[in-house]
Amino acid sequence: MKLLKATLVACCAVGGLAASAQADDFDYGSFPDYTLKVKLIGGTQYEKLYTRIPEWEEMTGAKVEIVSSKNHFDLDREIKQDIAAGDITWCVGSNHTSFAPQYGDLYIDLSEHIPQSELDKYVPGTLESAKVDGRLVQLPRVTDVSNLYYRKSLYADPANQQAWKEKYGTDLAPPKTYDEFRDQVIFFADPPNLYGTAFAGKDEGMSGRFMEILRANGGDMFDDEFRPTFNSPEGVAALQWFIDVYDAGAVPAGTVNYTWDDIGQAMAAGQLALDLDWPGFAAFFADPSSSKIADDLGYAVAPAGTSGHGGGWSGSHSFSVTQDCDNKDAAVSFAVFMTNDESELMEAMAGNLPTRTATYDEVIAWFNENGKENLAEMFQVWQESLADARTPPLIPEWIQVSNVLWPELQAAIVGEKTPQDALDDAAEQATMIMEDAGYY
Amino acid sequence: MKFFRSPQATPYLLLLPAIIVILAVVLVPLLVSFWTSFTSYNLVRPDSLYNFVGLRNYRRLIGNDDFWWAFGRTVVFITIALNLEMLLGLGLALLVNRITWGQRTLRTIMMFPMMFSPILVGFQFKYLFNDSVGLVNNALFALNLIDKPIPWLVNGWLANFSIIVAEMWMSTSIFAILLMAGLLAMPKEPIEAAKVDGCNAIQVFRHITLPFLMPFIWIAMTIRSLDVARAYDMVKIMTNGGPAGRTELIWTLMTRTGYQNAQMGMANAMGYISILLSIAFTIMFYRNLTKARVFMGGAQ
Repeated sequence: MKLLKATLVACCAVGGLAASAQADDFDYGSFPDYTLKVKLIGGTQYEKLYTRIPEWEEMTGAKVEIVSSKNHFDLDREIKQDIAAGDITWCVGSNHTSFAPQYGDLYIDLSEHIPQSELDKYVPGTLESAKVDGRLVQLPRVTDVSNLYYRKSLYADPANQQAWKEKYGTDLAPPKTYDEFRDQVIFFADPPNLYGTAFAGKDEGMSGRFMEILRANGGDMFDDEFRPTFNSPEGVAALQWFIDVYDAGAVPAGTVNYTWDDIGQAMAAGQLALDLDWPGFAAFFADPSSSKIADDLGYAVAPAGTSGHGGGWSGSHSFSVTQDCDNKDAAVSFAVFMTNDESELMEAMAGNLPTRTATYDEVIAWFNENGKENLAEMFQVWQESLADARTPPLIPEWIQVSNVLWPELQAAIVGEKTPQDALDDAAEQATMIMEDAGYY
Repeated sequence: MKFFRSPQATPYLLLLPAIIVILAVVLVPLLVSFWTSFTSYNLVRPDSLYNFVGLRNYRRLIGNDDFWWAFGRTVVFITIALNLEMLLGLGLALLVNRITWGQRTLRTIMMFPMMFSPILVGFQFKYLFNDSVGLVNNALFALNLIDKPIPWLVNGWLANFSIIVAEMWMSTSIFAILLMAGLLAMPKEPIEAAKVDGCNAIQVFRHITLPFLMPFIWIAMTIRSLDVARAYDMVKIMTNGGPAGRTELIWTLMTRTGYQNAQMGMANAMGYISILLSIAFTIMFYRNLTKARVFMGGAQ
């Protein structure tokens, strides 16, 4: 993980140099009359990239057949069923850092099919975290690392500034720690007109957000032998953060049923004061046609925990190529094309964090030249956050462990269990999963 | 071989294709899933299909409080939903049966909810009961009946209530239609005779209409008890079994275990324990149906 952190920082700092070092152009090949079957993640923020598919078709002579287009959780279920049925009739699949370790040898090692000169164009740390057991099973498409979106007007309001100063003795500014974050969301909350924030309360969203604060507090999910350690004092403190904001009514009661789209919609509707969220929402929040807060949007680095660092929960969306693919060259060509410089710039213009080094400087320049200075500012904040970026444990059992963790977190948040009991129960179940998988 | 050439074999030979199809689509999957319930079968590790673990999955389930809560909640859910649907469906059928003009149009309107996919119904009611943007809370705010949002899909009682309301909205008309069929088939003579004898409306209903309808009610209950599993779609969309497992039913738990966690062996063990539930409900309804047929056609 230290390697990941170091490489991410280094790559961002020397992005321009790295870009200039690349000279070779990738050969996308020619595959006339071939139909490439793909399973792609669906959803508004992902599908704009797919408008580039006709370009690849024209360049290579192949046709693309999208056999599945779903959200990633449904896609994951479908892929697992394909594996179980031994029915892999498609070539390229959308993948994710969190999901990839589950799939065993479903996907090929892309480093054996893509020239190193091309791989060097990707952010080294991102590419490293795309590996499973040393095999490059996915080509990263966009990177996620969470940061704070906030309503600037709330911080500029003299009444808020005075009230905050009287209560806490400090100047009102975007929170730098999770304690400040908690105090501020409670301070701003005025339900049902305005909530302090909302959090993803189920699925991996809940587990991941907990993991982020746990790590920011200096704890972690597992020890070196993969025994669960999230029921540590750091874990209890992390869970207590959610309980505090929930009990104070600073979040909608329904947040325990929310996922990202619900939170994004609430933020865009002006119902939240702060939102710890992904880069992909930046363009949505900054677009006046979809957001009421477009002119009121501020960005800040994710808060730090008691360890003095952020949690940096991170991962990448990606493309993978199946072992059973009948034309791996075409599939690899497609995966590279969908993550090449032009594709990455398209993704970055929508606010997503690109996975190619050269795109960072390029898109910031583009934002500044096109009157989107606030998005340029946002990008610099995002880059800063990458310093703390850490993926979930890259083990096949992660999603299983997540699935036993989040219902227990919910139980503590809604008051059915104490934080320690909930985490102990989750740790017991997680231990069973790891035992069954043969870790100890 | 001699038997196959004899005339007695003809029906069996003619039925053979159907028997083979039934074996392929019913018996084989049942046997395979039963086998997997004794293995650690994981969807993404096909080799684990042969990893026999004996009764481990069943032992774990027997000691698993979450599973038994989901099991108990499923029994309560089916019982409440079926009984309320039956009562409302009966009331609706009796009311519509009394209408002499526009009855066909009303019957068609009654069937509208059945035409919606359970997934769509789930999305619709998720929106209606959303605590911050939902129609129900907004209406209650507008009427000044509440001053803070009601967490319809979060509170344990309210979340289960909301799901049952959605289920009833979609399926009450099935009861109404089946009971309407019973009412239309009912002979008028016993009712007229009872009225001549001085029975009031309640006595007629209690001693003539209801006994005649009981077989229809039990048939409807039997069909619906098996069909109520369709509520999976709605629960999945509205709460996904949460929060904290408060609305977890057997089928949401099984799906999460089997497809999300890929623990298909464990999920199938859950299935074989919960099959007992379906068998118990079906036996109970058929017994009641047999008893009810005794009264068909008249008062006791």
